[in-house]
Amino acid sequence: MRSNSRYNLKETKAAYWFNAPLIITAIVFILIPVAGTLVTSFSRDVTFLPSKFLGLENYTRMLGDIHFWQSARFTLFFVLVSICLELFFGMIFALVLNETLPARGLFRVAILIPWAIPIAISGRIWQLIYNYEYGLFNFFVQFFGISDKPISWLGSSFGAFVSVVIADVWKTTPFMAIIILAGLSTIPGDIYKQAMIDGTNFIQRFFNITLPLLRPVIVVALLFRTVDAIRIFDLVYVLTGGGPGGSTNSLSLYAYNYYVTGDFGYGSAVSVAVSIFAALLAAAYIKFGKFKEAIK
Amino acid sequence: MREQKTITIFKFFGAVFLLLFCILPFVWMIVISLTKNPDFFASGQSASFTISNYTDLLSNGSTHLIDYLRNSLIVSIVSAICATLFASFSAYAITRLNFPGRILIPLVLLAFSMFPQISIIGYLFKLMTRLGWINTYYALIFPYITLGLPLALWIMLSYLSRLSSELDKAALVDGATRLQVLLKIIFPIALPGIFSTFMLILIYSFNEFLFALMLTIDYKARTIPVGIALFEGLHGQIPWGYIMASAVIAVVPLIILIAFFQRYIIQGLTEGAVKG
Repeated sequence: MRSNSRYNLKETKAAYWFNAPLIITAIVFILIPVAGTLVTSFSRDVTFLPSKFLGLENYTRMLGDIHFWQSARFTLFFVLVSICLELFFGMIFALVLNETLPARGLFRVAILIPWAIPIAISGRIWQLIYNYEYGLFNFFVQFFGISDKPISWLGSSFGAFVSVVIADVWKTTPFMAIIILAGLSTIPGDIYKQAMIDGTNFIQRFFNITLPLLRPVIVVALLFRTVDAIRIFDLVYVLTGGGPGGSTNSLSLYAYNYYVTGDFGYGSAVSVAVSIFAALLAAAYIKFGKFKEAIK
Repeated sequence: MREQKTITIFKFFGAVFLLLFCILPFVWMIVISLTKNPDFFASGQSASFTISNYTDLLSNGSTHLIDYLRNSLIVSIVSAICATLFASFSAYAITRLNFPGRILIPLVLLAFSMFPQISIIGYLFKLMTRLGWINTYYALIFPYITLGLPLALWIMLSYLSRLSSELDKAALVDGATRLQVLLKIIFPIALPGIFSTFMLILIYSFNEFLFALMLTIDYKARTIPVGIALFEGLHGQIPWGYIMASAVIAVVPLIILIAFFQRYIIQGLTEGAVKG
């Protein structure tokens, strides 16, 4: 009865009609599949065998699976390293773009190029650049005398990690830069003028004015990027295939490989683990990023 | 004044670095797509430039490059149109009407977008198998709409909440239905926002890989990122010229879109993240 006093029935009805397409697609194509994956993770679900409820067996198997932990470690390191680099370069690019530049439009188009090219395609470009015999990277390495022999970028586990990180930083730094740029444009110029009169140098101004004022924007950008980076799949699938020796197997790729071989139960358990990692990281950001203040 | 000089130097090197960083791999892709010997650089041979990679690809139907590109375009355009429409319906209701769940819907949808694709695809694959949609456009269009919805809704919300609701109130008094108000009054004013949303969802759908990889089998529905990722040579040697030429064919439409509409794309990106 109380709700009748607050809401008009006709208006509510209209509102639900307007929301119906969104709610229905979201339920059918996100909620049901995610719930289905969760249920599947508790059962044996292998091609050609009858399905059977296993309880937590997939999860106990996962906890004792060294390859799972190898993937988890790679994914976590990857998220950490690539996001720090993206923030660093994204900040520099945003500061550059915020200055008055000739041919502003050209720079904005240039920065959108890496962002818009599908990762599966840019992965192949990077594969060529890392090529042992005639890749661009090994040419530069020898040209500048960093090493007199070509480096096997994709053939060693450290090299493969670096390669994946570089390709990912290339792809996603533009996103970071654009978000930070939007944050920069909301800072009023008067603050800087006053600070300049007070005799501060530009490094002091950056750390005392720009960075604190950008904090909410940076937290949001980091949250988006972290949730996105933890599901990395396309890049490792194309660039390294998870190798060498599973050293760049991301959690998503690890789960995918079980799906492809028909083991949906175990693959689902690994997928649930990815979701849990993502949720934990998101929760950490929301807690430490003081989100409520950011929204205000 | 020394400081001014430092800043100018920083600006100059920053700008040069930015351009090289963004464009170099892209330029390299174009160079290799135009040559038959991708090793010319390292081996010191002279490069023999030719467009035969392109003509070979386009004249040889068995590469299915044009099929992949067509599939990609159809799937991403339809998904972008639907996601933008659905999101603007919801955003209209959320910003203009009072109903239970008004605050909850965007928040729940945002939480949904945190689910990694891998946790959706396992069961989605079974769902699509049961529906008989594997290797059809439907198998990609519906999931892409859903993946695009959270972003689309947040952009449309921040756009519509800035539009005054006086106009549509007046129209309602004049006896228009809410749907008429949305289509005839709100849509025309909100067109820049709608277009930003459409462009972003279009590019994200064009980029999607995991679903396209698992839910399609061959050229009937396979999209171009998957086609290029799975492009293999006949004799174990990777045909770099062909791969880069197909990459150029796939990427050029995107670059043209960006060149024309970068303002809308950047607006959409910042709207979704900074406001949300």
